[in-house]
Parts: sequence; structure tokens; C-alpha cells
Amino acid sequence: MGDIHEVPRPRIAAGHLAQYIGQPVCFVGRVEKIHPTGKFFVLSDGVGKHTTVELSEPLDEEISGIVEVVGRVTNQATIMCMSYVQFREDKSPFDLELYNEALNIIHEFPEYFPFG
Amino acid sequence: LQAMMQGESVSKPVLQVMNTRAIATGTGPPRYRVLMSDGVNTLSSFMLATQLNPLVEEERLSARCICQVNKFIVNSLKDGRRVVILMDLNVLKTADEVGGNIGNPQPYNEGQGQQRSAAPAANPAPSKPQQQNGNLSVAGPAAPKYHAPSNQFGKASAPSTVKTPGLSQAKVVPIASLNPYQSKWTICARVTQKGQIRTWSNSRGEGKLFSIELVDESGEIRATAFNDQADKFFPLIELNKVYYFTKGNLKTANKQYTAVKNDYEITFTNETSVVPCDDAQHLPAVQYDFVSISDLENMPKDSIVDIIGICKSYEDVTKITVKANNREVSKRNVHLMDTSGKLVTATLWGNEAEQFDGSRQPVIAIKGAKVSDFGGRSLSVLSSSTVVINPDSPEAFKLRGWYEFDSEGQLLECASISDVRGGAGAGANTNWKTLFEAKSENLGQGDKADFFSCVGTIVHLRKENCMYQACPSQDCNKKVIDQQNGLYRCEKCDREFPNFKYRMMLLVTIADCLEYQWVTCFQESAEFILGQNAAFLGELKEKNEQAFEEVFQNANFNTYEFRIRVKLETYNDESRIKATAMDVKPVNYREYGKRLIASIRSNAQLG
Repeated sequence: MGDIHEVPRPRIAAGHLAQYIGQPVCFVGRVEKIHPTGKFFVLSDGVGKHTTVELSEPLDEEISGIVEVVGRVTNQATIMCMSYVQFREDKSPFDLELYNEALNIIHEFPEYFPFG
Repeated sequence: LQAMMQGESVSKPVLQVMNTRAIATGTGPPRYRVLMSDGVNTLSSFMLATQLNPLVEEERLSARCICQVNKFIVNSLKDGRRVVILMDLNVLKTADEVGGNIGNPQPYNEGQGQQRSAAPAANPAPSKPQQQNGNLSVAGPAAPKYHAPSNQFGKASAPSTVKTPGLSQAKVVPIASLNPYQSKWTICARVTQKGQIRTWSNSRGEGKLFSIELVDESGEIRATAFNDQADKFFPLIELNKVYYFTKGNLKTANKQYTAVKNDYEITFTNETSVVPCDDAQHLPAVQYDFVSISDLENMPKDSIVDIIGICKSYEDVTKITVKANNREVSKRNVHLMDTSGKLVTATLWGNEAEQFDGSRQPVIAIKGAKVSDFGGRSLSVLSSSTVVINPDSPEAFKLRGWYEFDSEGQLLECASISDVRGGAGAGANTNWKTLFEAKSENLGQGDKADFFSCVGTIVHLRKENCMYQACPSQDCNKKVIDQQNGLYRCEKCDREFPNFKYRMMLLVTIADCLEYQWVTCFQESAEFILGQNAAFLGELKEKNEQAFEEVFQNANFNTYEFRIRVKLETYNDESRIKATAMDVKPVNYREYGKRLIASIRSNAQLG
């Protein structure tokens, strides 16, 4: 699945997971919990819904704060993570609710925000 | 009736209305005077409280109807007469149902207290009306005439009950019963608002006054003390304390100056007395009706609101001169934030501005602030407003708790609905426009300059002539003339200098998604955009052309928030719209995002 970075991957919120099963997506959320094995972690989105992210290899570093995950949605509505990026919050906090609002708009007006 | 007049407490008497008469009061609603009968006596000194006026106007209360009085007060006039004020009553049977007068009532003579028939004065058996319906028309009514009360009561000696030898025996009346027809009254009320002393001077002289708002269980009322009374009472009367207030003038309220719900207001006279009251538990405390800051955006301008918020930041006090009367007034802007995440700027004036201490982010409650549309929405504290710092109220504690412990509270970069940023000059209305809107709305073409804010990207900067040599004096920026002898002359200061300072006047083109605009940036804005100060740039230009060019290249294609002033200017017979950047700032993406979302949503609504 190395090609996942070549394909368009829409940004989604937790509520959209069901519609994008099997598809590559981009998900931004706040780290809530990390499984002790380091193979799963849970992110919460702007409205507080939780999503589980799975990794093919366990995490080799501590992650916290806001993370953007690129991966594929599994049949269980979790995300199989291909890559992730941590957002820096030292300059200003990331407004997750605002991000969610923006996501709502993107999905409401697909004619103006086409995906690839 | 007899019992009522003699001050005995009668519960819910049932009386028949014999007649009603409207009394014009000049200003304000009419008062209705009612001739009542209890079957035994009639009495004309009944006044209807104004809140019951609709009953007469809608003809539910009219001659012959029977009503039950739920609440009434007996007031004694100066000459000993008694007036009964009807505060609340139910119409049991309307006039047509009753048909005629009940019994053969005689006009009540106050002096004749002894003349009592066996039946108690109050409560004719309620069943009577039904039975006598048929008979009433037969019983010749005593033709109760509508006497002026002086005929009856003029000679009555001052009744012995209820008069107030000492204040402690004063009968306390509810605020709702106060009216101009009685001057001897005592109320027990809490001061819910105390204004500052205000002085005025006009052609008729000068004076000072302060106003307070009083509240008790029946209602609220405003009171004003002038001159001597202002001096006497201002230090005595404290906010939130309860006092007995006796004897003042009642006049119709000037609704323009107050939001207090009462048709009348009190003026203190030199007979007025104010005595602290200890037993005040039953009185309601200062009533606040807090509005959340985000709701302010929907409120019309000039409405009066109560607000509570954390003082997130505050500015220094400044003195401005009021053009109208050339007086200097202190003002201070404070920024309040509440759990809605919105920030609003409130302006304090005078003493309150000077004495304000916003350190440690106190909770501030303002009662009666005025909403203005300055910069979107902001608040102004009026002389009739009260500002309480760290009030002792549950909302204050809730706010404090949210702010201190909920990390959201402190990190929240609030959306300021007052957008005071870069307010260039008084009356500048911050409004966000796209460049396209600015052009299509023809901003700047009126007589006055227009201001707007926009988010734009720099797409070009003009390097040539971006600086000029200016007078080195502190506040003078006039271009100096190079005398070619090592001296530079400034016409404005009328002096020559051996040096000059470089001042920037940078012409940039900024663009957004639809339009572009040439904007002139002076010193501060230009330095911000280029990231260097003028003096350094001047040197670079002379010494290192390449580095100079690089500065400009790096400045290109950056996006900022611009606050722009546009005006039609005439130069050598040519009129052009000129735009100047008053302020340039990095984009606050959060705010920008919120504005965009709001804009998308509202455009979506328009279909």
C-alpha cells in the first residue's frame, strides 16, 4: 500500500468512516490513548468521537496532541495507518472544532471541494 | 369598606364597582378612579394601579361589575384623607351579568366610623348577586353620586391609626404602589445600582446628581438625588444594601434614561430620609439577567444588557477630550471573555476607568451596559450602569472555575466581536471585506475615508522610490530638501539638518481570490512586510544592491491581514482612490477560518 500517497485521500471526520471503508483517507484527531503494545492508539475528533488507529509496526515514539493520520479504513471502521504527522502546538493551539466545521463544509459542498 | 378605611386588614374583599372615572395625568397613562361599594357604603377614593388600566379600557371593569380585590393598600394623604390603591383584582361578574347596584349603599363618611350595620363591611355573601339578579332592578339604587371626596372627608379628623410618629412605625409600602398622589411614603428597598456623581453646567446654572435603582418584592424604581441631597446621600448609600427611604417626589419616569420598569421615578427632596434597614432577607438581591457574549452579536445597537465575563486583558487608561464641551474624560478599554469563547471590549469611563484594576484577570459583571456597533459589537458603560469586580454570585464562580481549571478557558483564543485591532481614529468600523467587495462597494468614494480589513497576499512590491529622506525631528515626517551642501532643509520645521532619516513609503500590490489593489504602506507597515527597519534598508540600498533586492523578493507572496484606509484624493486636478495600509498583521487563521465558515453558511442559506 505504498501507493497510498499517490492517491487522493479525502479528509474525514469520525462520522464519515463508515462511508469510506476500504478507501484511503486522512484523519486528524487528538491522541487520547495509546495501547500498551504500541500497535493501536485512539484519536478523538472535533466533536469528541473516538477512532482507533492500527499500525503495522508498533510505535517507536511517544505521540501526543494533535496527529494527522493517512491510511485506509478497515472493515471494522478503524484506520490502518500508513503514515502520521504530529502537529506542533507551541505557537498556537489547533482548533479541532473549527477543523470539524471545515470538514462539514467540505462534505456538504463537494462541488466546490472536489476530491482529485 | 369601613374596615378597609380604618386600616384593618381585610382579606380579598368583594366589592361592586359603581363608577369609574379617568383622570388625566398630563404625561403617562391615565389613572382611573373608582367608586366602590360593599353593599353598605360607597367610597370614591379608590385608585386603580396603572397595571390594571387595561381592565377598564377593555371594559371588563366597569360600573356595576363585581370584583374581588386581591391586593390593596391604604395610603393617607397629607390632609388625612385615605386613598385605597387597588393593586390586583379579579372581576367576578361583569357589569351586564350583575345588572344593577346591590343593596342601598350610603356614601361612606370617614368620620362616622361608628355607624356599622350588623353585616361586616367586607364580603357581602357572594351568593347574593345570583339570587338578586332579578330583584335588583327593583331596588331603587341609592343613586350614589360621584362626590368629590372633599365633601365627605374634608372635616374628618386625622385618623389615629397608622400615622407615623417615628420612622420605626412607618408603614412600609411596596414600590409598585408609589405614585405622585401621595407624598408620605416609606419603602424598604435594596440598592441594586448606584451611578456615579455627574455634574452638569448649562445656561441655567450647574448642578450635580446621582441616580440609584431600588428594588423590593413588588418591583423596582429609579431614584435621583440632586445637589445637596447628592452630597448628603452619595457616601451613605451603598450598592446592595437595604434602606428605608421616606418621602420623596414622584414623577413620571423618563424612559429614555433608564430601563427600569416603573412608570414613575423618585426625586429626593430635603425631606427625604434614608435609614439603613437590617432585616432585609426577604428582599431580592441585585437582579442580573446575563447575556452571553456571543449573543451580543445578535442584539440591536443601543440595547441595554447585563454581562459577566473574565477580564482577559485590559488597556491603559487614556484621556480623551470630548469635543462637545471640551472636557477631558478618562476612558479605558477592557476585554471580557466568557464561556461562549467570545471576547468583547467594554469601555469604562471616568472614575471607573481610572480606578480599574484588572490584574489577575478578575470576573467583571456589568449591569446595564449599552451595546454599540463600534467595531462590530462592543459595550459602553453608562453612568447608569454598575460595574462589579469579582461579584459574589454563582455565575462569577462558575466563570472563574471554567477559566482557571478548564484548560480551554485560558488557551481559548477568542473571537473578538469587538475587533478593536488597528482602529484608526474614532468611529472606525472594522469590517472584513474581500478586495472585490471593497471595489464593488465603492468604498472610499464618499466624503470621508472608509476603513476595512482584508486578508491579502502581496504579489508585487515597488522597489524604486520606496523610501524618501525625511526630517530627522521626532514627530516630523516631511520630506527634506537636499541643499547639496551636506545640509537638508525641512520646510515644516523651518530648519536645516546635517542628516535625515529614511522613511518608507512602499507601494505594494495585494491580491485575494478575486481582485487586486495597490496599497501604500508607510513606515511601520512597510518595515513589517520587509522585515527590516528603514535605516538598515537605506544602507543596503546604497551599499549592497543584491541584498536589497533579496529583501524584497522574500517579502513577496506572503499573506497578511491588512487594515486599509481608502479615500478619494485629488492631486493636481486628478482624483484617484488611494489606499493606505494602516496596519499589517500576520493572519489569524483561526479567526479567518471562522469567518469563512460563517460566510459560507450564510451564502448557502441564500440559496
